[in-house]
Amino acid sequence: MTFESIAGLYNYWVVIFLMMTGFYIVLARKNLIKSVIGLNIFQTSVFLLYITMGKVEHGTAPIVPPAIAEQQSHASHGVGENAHAAIEHADEAHEVVHEVAHEVALTVADHGGELAHASTEIIYSNPLPSVLMLTAIVVGIATTALALALVVRIREDYGTVDEELILELDRGE
Amino acid sequence: MIDAIFAHLPILLIVLPLMAAPCCVLVGNGRAAYLLALVVSFAAFACSVAMLGETLQHHVVRYELGNWSPPYGIEYRVDIFSGFVMAFVSGIGAIVLVYAPLSVRDEIPASKHYLFYATYLLCMTGLLGMCVTGDLFNVFVFLEISSLSSYALISLGRTRRAPLAAFQYLILGSIGATFILIGIGLLYQMTGTLNMADIAARVPHEHGPRTVLVAFAFLTVGLCVKMAVFPLHTWLPNAYTYAPSVVTCFIAATATKVSVYAFVRLIFGIITPGFAFDVLPLDTELMLFSLVGIFIASIAAIYQNNVKRLLAYSSVAQIGYMLLGISMATPTGLSAGIVHMFNHALIKGGLFMVAGCFALRLGSVQLSDWKGAGRTMPLTAIAWAIGGLALIGVPMTAGFISKWLLLTSAFETGRWPIAVLMLVSSLLAVVYVWKVVETLFFSEPSEAAAGATEAPLRMLIPTYLLIGATLLFGVWTPYSAGIARQAAIVLLGGTP
Amino acid sequence: MNFIVFAILALLAITAVAIAKLRELWAVIMFTGIYSFLSASWMIILDAPDVAFTEAAVGAGISTVLMLSTMALTGKAEEIPRKKSLVPLFVVIVTGATLVYGTLDMPHFGSPDAPVQVYPDPSFVKRSEADMHGLPNVVTALLASYRGYDTLGETTVVLTAGIAVLLILRRNDEKDEPTQLAGNKTP
Repeated sequence: MTFESIAGLYNYWVVIFLMMTGFYIVLARKNLIKSVIGLNIFQTSVFLLYITMGKVEHGTAPIVPPAIAEQQSHASHGVGENAHAAIEHADEAHEVVHEVAHEVALTVADHGGELAHASTEIIYSNPLPSVLMLTAIVVGIATTALALALVVRIREDYGTVDEELILELDRGE
Repeated sequence: MIDAIFAHLPILLIVLPLMAAPCCVLVGNGRAAYLLALVVSFAAFACSVAMLGETLQHHVVRYELGNWSPPYGIEYRVDIFSGFVMAFVSGIGAIVLVYAPLSVRDEIPASKHYLFYATYLLCMTGLLGMCVTGDLFNVFVFLEISSLSSYALISLGRTRRAPLAAFQYLILGSIGATFILIGIGLLYQMTGTLNMADIAARVPHEHGPRTVLVAFAFLTVGLCVKMAVFPLHTWLPNAYTYAPSVVTCFIAATATKVSVYAFVRLIFGIITPGFAFDVLPLDTELMLFSLVGIFIASIAAIYQNNVKRLLAYSSVAQIGYMLLGISMATPTGLSAGIVHMFNHALIKGGLFMVAGCFALRLGSVQLSDWKGAGRTMPLTAIAWAIGGLALIGVPMTAGFISKWLLLTSAFETGRWPIAVLMLVSSLLAVVYVWKVVETLFFSEPSEAAAGATEAPLRMLIPTYLLIGATLLFGVWTPYSAGIARQAAIVLLGGTP
Repeated sequence: MNFIVFAILALLAITAVAIAKLRELWAVIMFTGIYSFLSASWMIILDAPDVAFTEAAVGAGISTVLMLSTMALTGKAEEIPRKKSLVPLFVVIVTGATLVYGTLDMPHFGSPDAPVQVYPDPSFVKRSEADMHGLPNVVTALLASYRGYDTLGETTVVLTAGIAVLLILRRNDEKDEPTQLAGNKTP
């Protein structure tokens, strides 16, 4: 275990500690609401695990600065229009097609060069973990809502939200 | 037109029940919602049979959602195995719906009927979605759809214990799902992709196996909760016992099977058997847990006085047989595991339907209330007897086919102690099945049973459909064991 | 920057432990909100502003409101002190140790040659620049395109939860009142 690997991994260990605290709350608590809270903490910490994975050194959020985005948008529209033109004229004359195709190739090469230049400057963190976690957060809140509805129902039927008291009530039946 | 439909079969299968569910809510009428659900579930069944036909021809059918090719987009990937599982899940889903209305009317308040059918369809969507997808994160999303809807369905039971059972299942199930999410995350971190085939190709075997190992362990534990493998089965007996009869039929026949499907996919499609069984001694561990589970759950089943609980413990034991077959990782063993998924779905679905019939007429699933019911409800009681024989694995029934394949595989791999243990465990099944048969036929009728009439035909016909199928697939196997064998060979990397 | 990260991590750990220790439900719910907020702050530092916003809104907002309203309906039942079993602690320690063991082969935090960063090639950011005609927010682009189907699944999960809550909380005895929503209920 070198210092380097400790420095590179401590983030994960903190996240693991957080996950396990949540897990412990779920397992050890007898109050039903508290179990749901534990589940929440557990899941939120898993989100952190994913997000930690996506981060890259000296990276920035995966939002392309508007200036570059605009450039890009023009480039792709231009290519698109020229390509359409190419298809429309395809039947009429082969020469025209060649010309247009040449033009298209030039445009692409130009903008491609610009782009390559732009993206060497900016390093983006990986957007995929963020996308996945947006989904997972919604799944998490859906689970919480369902669990809490069940808690309300259980409390109506038993008059308590303490698991051991509930089990005692059931045994006494 | 037909071609266009065929090209989109994989997505049609999911979208049909998915779209029908909000429609059920919007109609807001129990009867209309029921008819819609019935039509859609049969349509989904037809789609999945057509899908199975396709896979038998082409082995693998791929469908890129939104035309985004993997690893960027999500891909549907159906092979013979997933086609087979989808066909019987949607088939049983449809038959249970035919059976449902009378039992639902009896057990669930009328104002909730349309919501019930919507949730039922969502549960089916989730289960089918888990089978059809080739993307690991997508499995998680659909797993949650099926889980959330099954928690809600279970909570509808008549007693106040039902919501509690649902809550306990929710907590355990969510822990399982979170474990699966952690596992998926670790695999993603080591491979950079979520597509299953892509992960299989990129998973590092030499460099970095420790992380992959832990990822695999978490996915396994998570799925074991969902499969209700001993000792993580604690949610299952209460959930099956207190849920409404129809819900128990559907969930017992399909939900655990789909989790087994996901587990087989994980071992053979993502991690590869070489890693799971050679690097890890998973096969011996799995076998040990399966055998211990089979014995403890079977013995527990013997001591139950509530028939649904008895069947629930028996389900825990039967999952053990499936895992036993899978852990042998030979074509025969794997096909035994796969065909047992199908056979057990038929048997357990049928038996829970019988329990539902008795519950409707006797108002109870306690064994003491079932006394002598065989005299007043002979047809229902005979269905139990036939289903029970299949559960034990008597020749000429579907249960025999799976046990025979398991025995063959145990002898082929020289594991004769397992063969002996399996035979002994079948004797335990004889005990608990006989206990109910004896109560039904050979004791003085209880008060409830003496005044009972035969279950209505609308419930008996679907019951006999499943029970009859266990007899049919006991003698005629090309479409059960035959397909299972092809599926197993494809999973092990061969060509059928 | 490092100092802020350390502070947030320490606060997260303290909050988590506090939630585990505290008995009073009201305080626990408040701390859960704080925990979500702290996570959201760390997510901002980890270059995931979209997730941070969602976590702050959903985790710290909606979920806290849901919990408080549940508490209002069920009463502020405090936890009853009991002799603690050591089994959960044991399970958690084993699970945690397994995970730590699993990290040993992981690519280091922020490493540019981690599989996640080098595969697929061209990266999602580059692919989406070309495919989405320059939509600036790549996360949004991904959510609606390549992983759009997951988003449909997510919407379905919300639908499922909505129907499920109605199914669970609707009163059994009042059959003639079809529109009794969960929120209107009194204990």
